[in-house]
Amino acid sequence: MWNTLILNPMINTLLVIYSVLGQNFGLAIIVFTILVRLITYPLTSQQMKSTQKMQELQKSKKWQDMQKKFKDDREKLSQEQMKLYKEMGVNPFGSCLPTLIQFPIIIGLYQAVIRVLAVTPIQLVDLSRHIYPFINASALIPINNNFLWMDLSLPEKDFGLAIAGIGIPILAILVVITTFLQSKLMTPPSTGGEQGAQMTQAMNLYMPLFMGYLAYTFSSGLALYFVASNLVGVLQYAVMGKLDWRNLIPAKRSEKEPAEKKPAQKKRLEK
Amino acid sequence: MKLNRLVISIFILLSASLLSACAGGAGLATSWPGLSADEDTAYLAFNNHVYAITLDTGIEKWRFPAESNNRITLYADPAMSPDQQLIVGGYNNVLYSLNSETGQMNWEFGEAGNKYIASPLAVDQGIFAPNADNNLYALELNGNLRWKFNTQGEIWAQPITDPACECIYLTSMDHYVYAVDPTDGSLRWQSQELGGAIVGSPALSEEGVLYVGTFGKEIIALDTQDGSVIWRSPTTGWVWSGPTLAEDVLYVGDLDGNFYAIDPADGQALWNLTSDQLDGSIAGSPLVVADTIYFTSESGSLYAVDPTGSILWSQAIGGRMLAAPVLAGDLLLVAPNQADQLLVAVNLEGGSRRWAFTLGE
Repeated sequence: MWNTLILNPMINTLLVIYSVLGQNFGLAIIVFTILVRLITYPLTSQQMKSTQKMQELQKSKKWQDMQKKFKDDREKLSQEQMKLYKEMGVNPFGSCLPTLIQFPIIIGLYQAVIRVLAVTPIQLVDLSRHIYPFINASALIPINNNFLWMDLSLPEKDFGLAIAGIGIPILAILVVITTFLQSKLMTPPSTGGEQGAQMTQAMNLYMPLFMGYLAYTFSSGLALYFVASNLVGVLQYAVMGKLDWRNLIPAKRSEKEPAEKKPAQKKRLEK
Repeated sequence: MKLNRLVISIFILLSASLLSACAGGAGLATSWPGLSADEDTAYLAFNNHVYAITLDTGIEKWRFPAESNNRITLYADPAMSPDQQLIVGGYNNVLYSLNSETGQMNWEFGEAGNKYIASPLAVDQGIFAPNADNNLYALELNGNLRWKFNTQGEIWAQPITDPACECIYLTSMDHYVYAVDPTDGSLRWQSQELGGAIVGSPALSEEGVLYVGTFGKEIIALDTQDGSVIWRSPTTGWVWSGPTLAEDVLYVGDLDGNFYAIDPADGQALWNLTSDQLDGSIAGSPLVVADTIYFTSESGSLYAVDPTGSILWSQAIGGRMLAAPVLAGDLLLVAPNQADQLLVAVNLEGGSRRWAFTLGE
């Protein structure tokens, strides 16, 4: 089921793109990532709209008053919240559902890239099972893994570009920067109180480092996919006019934050 | 928003587990076992070790490295040199020479840029080790580099030698076959583009014909004088292993699960067993012993077939069997993947099990 609906179409599309682009697998990964992000654009767009609606609702006076009024009666609070959701036409799961639907696509995309790279015999035997009969696989296999200075099948730690005799993991650095940019520019202001803000901050810091580590140690084809995916993500949000450039300037954020955090801090003091 | 964070956290965990599944570290086999044998010992390269196993009992004699090291993974068939060095290449880009009696390392060669997927050819003239960095490395028997020969694709097959012309025949994933001078690595000839990657060793006839199987779904006969194509014979699926030539018949299987007997003179099919009669892909070269043809299938079966194409018997060994069977005295050795046992020894007659080697024994 997974193979038929997700993985096989992705693998074969990737191979067709690779073939059309003159057997350049680096370009194929980039074009394929753009294509998948474009196809899933309606989901991304719906997710953003729902998130924004939810934020607006949570910032509203009505919501804040309700929090204060029913702070000691959780059951009543949730009932009132549901009423308000209905009233304002907000679906509380509206931003989660598109994210959930995107999971299999993102995982499939990642698996397709890894499987087509097929760097070991067992991976190549497995790849042979996923290729549609109409694709002239014998002309395409083995995949040409060279792209710019990279061997896409090898981790960057094995071939890092040497500048003045020093190996620089350029791709891993690009992954860290683009992941950081994406999470910073696309993370909406936290409405979950101080704890929520801290969690968001920690995520924004650790995720890029985690992704950078993965990019450094796994096949650079995967790192290239990370960079392409991050950049396309940022671009999509920019097109939608949702980028918050102020997120990149910590000083301005800290000026804003106390005002936003007040209710949460107050709530904690009252406890 | 809490739900959103939960979703993001689950996604990160999912991603981490998915990505770590590709790390290829300890306990996660990234290929099938490499296997060879001499008169009294089987040598099995799998995951983090090479195991030497006594043929009489199936008990481990030694393992290399003695202590598990996650940076070392070995899957290529170990090769015995004329001076009894066991040569085995690793996925860590290092070629090891081991004392075949003790498993102690004699020397290591670490100048290659990628994995050793294929077994090296170890002969009197030296060691010829193909690497996935597209090069064939020629070493002295003491591990010193003599020369290297570059192709345009990764080399996943053991080269073969031809004393008649003092040649080394090399197949590459770049779709070409090469004849190389073993003394200095110069090119004698290069075949035409053969239409598909070649990951199996060629078979060589006394008449000077080379036979290779390709991902282009063909068996191709080449003239050893100049590499020109003599004939092409179609198969249904990708041909992974090299064909086996015995008693003037070529035997080969394909990844679609078909098995072929082909006339080496003109490439005509003598008989074949279809995927309906067999139970899975055939990735290992067939083994011919005294009028019986043995081969393994990916579904974990070992087949014995007579020269007319009748299945004499089949034994369900288990696991995922992609490695070829190996003859060791009066035993057949098979090395399944993803099975409880790493190595199984069966009798040539009937295929009954003699012993099985599992880790911890």
